[in-house]
Amino acid sequence: MSNQPNSTMVELIKVSKHYHPNIQALTDVSISIRSGEMVFITGRSGAGKTTFLKLLCKMELPTRGMVEIDGIDIRRLRGKGLAILRQNIGVAYQDFKLLTDRTVAENIAVSMEVSYRKPNQIRKRVKTLLEELDLTDKHNSMTGDLSRGEQQRVALARAVANSPSLILVDEPTGNLDSATTERVMTMIKNLHQAGATVLIATHDHTIYRNTDDRLLELRGGQMYQLRDGVMQ
Amino acid sequence: MSFIFAVLRQVYRNFRQTWLSQFMTLLTVSLSVFIFAFFYLVYNNMLTIGDKLGYDLRLIVYLEDEPIPELQEQLKRKILAFDEVEDIRFVSRAEAFERFRSQLGDDQDVLEDMPKDFLPPSIEVVPLKSLRSLNQVKLFSEYLSKLPGTIKVQYGQDWIERFYYFTRLVSIIVVLSAGLLILTSVFMVSYKIRLTIIGRREELELLRLVGATNNYIRTPFFIEGVLHGLLGSSIGLAALFGLFTWIKMKFSGPGILNIFEFSFFQPPAIIVLAIISILLCTMGSYTSMRKYLKK
Ligand SMILES: Nc1ncnc2c1ncn2[C@@H]1O[C@H](COP(=O)(O)OP(=O)(O)OP(=O)(O)O)[C@@H](O)[C@H]1O
Ligand SMILES: [Mg+2]
Repeated sequence: MSNQPNSTMVELIKVSKHYHPNIQALTDVSISIRSGEMVFITGRSGAGKTTFLKLLCKMELPTRGMVEIDGIDIRRLRGKGLAILRQNIGVAYQDFKLLTDRTVAENIAVSMEVSYRKPNQIRKRVKTLLEELDLTDKHNSMTGDLSRGEQQRVALARAVANSPSLILVDEPTGNLDSATTERVMTMIKNLHQAGATVLIATHDHTIYRNTDDRLLELRGGQMYQLRDGVMQ
Repeated sequence: MSFIFAVLRQVYRNFRQTWLSQFMTLLTVSLSVFIFAFFYLVYNNMLTIGDKLGYDLRLIVYLEDEPIPELQEQLKRKILAFDEVEDIRFVSRAEAFERFRSQLGDDQDVLEDMPKDFLPPSIEVVPLKSLRSLNQVKLFSEYLSKLPGTIKVQYGQDWIERFYYFTRLVSIIVVLSAGLLILTSVFMVSYKIRLTIIGRREELELLRLVGATNNYIRTPFFIEGVLHGLLGSSIGLAALFGLFTWIKMKFSGPGILNIFEFSFFQPPAIIVLAIISILLCTMGSYTSMRKYLKK
């Protein structure tokens, strides 16, 4: 994926998502996010934030409308093409999706292994990430034994390990104290500084209150822009 | 290079998680290869023995009287009227007596008091190599026994017949054990891989989400199938070779087994057996993947 500034990374045109039997999660959402942007998405519980993120990595298919990532209509992507797209999108899931019977290091390594990174490169990267997230002593712990706040950070580490150009973070600070929240946000900001496009879905207004990044709100299945971001 | 490494790492992880059931699968595959190869080897050796028996096969037509040359010609024509033969030889009473005496070797003196014409004259008929199936030999023998002046026809009916029936029985067992081999290798491997896939469903789903290609997910299961086939056939054949050598050593003294030279499979046969096992096991893993790993 290109990291050209001002090219469009995420483009949704009139996207609706209907869940069986009668839940209208998103209605006619149209939004364009440029490459290198950092965007916060808020909204009440059940507003459709997770659904929105899932549409971007083809975990869910839109009922109507078009989703383009880096200029590619992802509806047509299958097999290898889809795999490569997903290697370039790092997702920190709200429910973590960790392999609970594997160690922290193994969990983080998964996203690098699927793109055939060299083992020593993986080891180094895992070590650095664990230091940044204050988890060094958990390197060999089973993720099933960790606290939720720790699991949350492991999920984030896995999402960013492969240096994806698009990072989707779902509720990154829900279980963290303010100091750890600070740490996590610093890491995400550094990735953004390094050129990644970052989308963060959150209830936690403390993490976007003092920034000048773009702020979107989902309400009743529709997308509203609360604040225009200032692009560097 | 890193692809191979990634695949091997997955294979290793699979093995570490499920080594017991892997071991059981391997054991089953080895055992069925062993059983099949055992009967196939027996069958092969019986065919060799059968060839040898057939090679020595001759029909002896015992006659009432010594035929005069003219009658000899007539009989010859009659025999040839049934089929071409390799050789026809007339054996007179005197010749028969001489032959018997030389066969007795050191015990010749028992014949001292016997009249030199107590053995009947005979015709030895060596059929063509093409006429070597039991049924044809039987027909031929019936035909010969109806020639005028014959007492009876002999070719070791009983034990040749028994041998051929036994060979046929073994060939049926070979077919059955081939069926067993196919069933166990395809179904055991397929079942085993199905269990693995179900047991690791969560992980395989995550792998898709983080962008694992089909090759990344599937190749380890393929390799697993190939390994089961390769190791299973190696272990099965090695065990059979052990048994074969042991039997040969144990019975290497004088005796019936020494008349015939028993032989193990030739390298090409071994390679073919290994390839077939590998194909069967790979097929097993493939069927499971098709069912449970489709995207
Ligand atoms: N797989 C599904 N099947 C049916 N309904 C679903 C499914 N996933 C989500 N929903 C519904 O769609 C709506 C939006 O859900 P979503 O998870 O996107 O909300 P959210 O904004 O992420 O909420 P939260 O802040 O609690 O995480 C909800 O009403 C939810 O119940
Ligand atoms: Mg959510």
